[in-house]
Amino acid sequence: MTRRASSKLGGYAALSGFGLVAALVLGRPEIVALTAPFLLAVGAGLALRASPRFTAEITADERAVEGDEVGVRITLAASATVDRLDVFVRLPPGLAVVDGDQARSLRLARGEQREIELTLRAERWGAHRLGPVYLRAHDPFGLFVAEGMLSRTPEIRVYPREDTMRRILQPRDTQLFTGNEVARRKGEGIEFADMRPWAPGDPLKRVNWRATARRGEVWVNESHPERNTDVILFVDSFAEARGQDASTLDLAVRATAALADAYVGRRDRIGLISFGGILRWLEPGLGMVQLYRVVDALLDTQIVLSYYWTGIDVIPTRTLPPNALVIALSPLLDGRSVDALLDLRARRYDLCVIDVSPVPFAQRPDSGVDAVAYDIWVLRRDALRHRLQRSGIAVAEWREGAPLQAAIEEVRAFRRHARVARV
Amino acid sequence: MTLTGVTAYAISGGDTVAFAGAAIAGVGAVALVAGIVLRLPFAIPWAMLLAGSGYIVARVHHSVADGWAAVVGAALLLAAELAAWSIASDAQIHEEKAVALRQSLTVAALVAGAALVSFLLVGAAAVSATAGLLLTGLGVAAAVGAVAVILRLVR
Repeated sequence: MTRRASSKLGGYAALSGFGLVAALVLGRPEIVALTAPFLLAVGAGLALRASPRFTAEITADERAVEGDEVGVRITLAASATVDRLDVFVRLPPGLAVVDGDQARSLRLARGEQREIELTLRAERWGAHRLGPVYLRAHDPFGLFVAEGMLSRTPEIRVYPREDTMRRILQPRDTQLFTGNEVARRKGEGIEFADMRPWAPGDPLKRVNWRATARRGEVWVNESHPERNTDVILFVDSFAEARGQDASTLDLAVRATAALADAYVGRRDRIGLISFGGILRWLEPGLGMVQLYRVVDALLDTQIVLSYYWTGIDVIPTRTLPPNALVIALSPLLDGRSVDALLDLRARRYDLCVIDVSPVPFAQRPDSGVDAVAYDIWVLRRDALRHRLQRSGIAVAEWREGAPLQAAIEEVRAFRRHARVARV
Repeated sequence: MTLTGVTAYAISGGDTVAFAGAAIAGVGAVALVAGIVLRLPFAIPWAMLLAGSGYIVARVHHSVADGWAAVVGAALLLAAELAAWSIASDAQIHEEKAVALRQSLTVAALVAGAALVSFLLVGAAAVSATAGLLLTGLGVAAAVGAVAVILRLVR
């Protein structure tokens, strides 16, 4: 801790010195009587000064879901009396105090241990580092102040609250591992596909006895195997539109977490690409561990301003496996992400885009040139969506407050009826 | 309020000099209020200096040491301590009752002790008013020594 004299000590000492000299010069004993109290305060303060000796530690719940309450404890233990100790916990954006005092002034007796409880609400997803915690100890007369801070503070990882998905997007192609998706190809499975004449090596259990009796030769059933799929969640973090409480990135992250949870439940492999000023990626993987990896990676997603023109060439090849379904969540505000999406489509990836609409975050001006500019901007966004759709990309607009399922259903409908486009 | 009392006491002399002294003390009171409102700790010693100067100016025609100087000195200290406490306190910082109680007791004890010491000093000054050069020299040496000790301790 850094110890320094307060302005009070300097002021009192100056008054005392000036008063004594003035009393000598003017020969007025009253001046001594006026000065003596300040002299006494300085003398007593200096005689009783002692370095504050205490320890402080802050602990907090490490993980929470958006909207949850998080407990924070500051433990203080004094080996010498601290007459006044000011404690202030700086909170990052996204955490708010529900119960307790963010700034508190207390007294610690010798040997006393105190715990300050603070209840916070996790208002926004993200990796929030608490603090620093500022500590300021005063001596009994307030002549000296010792200041310090706790720099080793815990990090609270707040996970986005997920929507419940009833149906999700089915990829065009499946992979090799067992999963919940009925593959288009034929093989070992339970979903009936077709019948064919028996061939050497076909097991007896596959014989279709009714067809065999009708046709006079042995026929067997063919089936579709249940396979897993690769799903790549592509989060555009080049730009966002931000309102008071939310932003397009917030919505995209929540949707990504919901989709990741839904696909992991189907034994699909999920990967993540955060495409923006800082490129982050996670190679596809299976299971709950991968889900936690994805969500943890999402927490670090942020908008970083960058003028560097990035293409999908910078993404590692293994992050984008062949036949993977790429679900992009983008506000379509940055030309680089739009170009990257078109490039992905040109490389024959099974791509769909959920347009996290920035329109609700921008208020339309009442009239004038600004209103015209707003209308043109909205029209250009429509044109961009149609351009993507003409390229064979399923695009659905998703606005704040609307269920994600509605956007997913819109994409499903497009994929069901869309023609094959050549790009 | 304490400084207003000092100002009122200074004006009780009734003559022109007393009014001038009261005016100076009044300026000190205003400076203290401004320091509290604007949260300027350095305004406190200046306010005390002005108030004390006003009192001394009001007493300039009196050759006899004033017994109430001890009360005025304690009052100045009380005003300075309360002003410093007020400036240091922040409405956003929750102050526990134990802290406020302890600080109140400390200020009360300090002001009481200061009043006692000042009374002793004023009494000693009255007794030794006609003492000779030796006591004057001792007084000078004590004053210089006190200032030196303060400077040493502050370092």
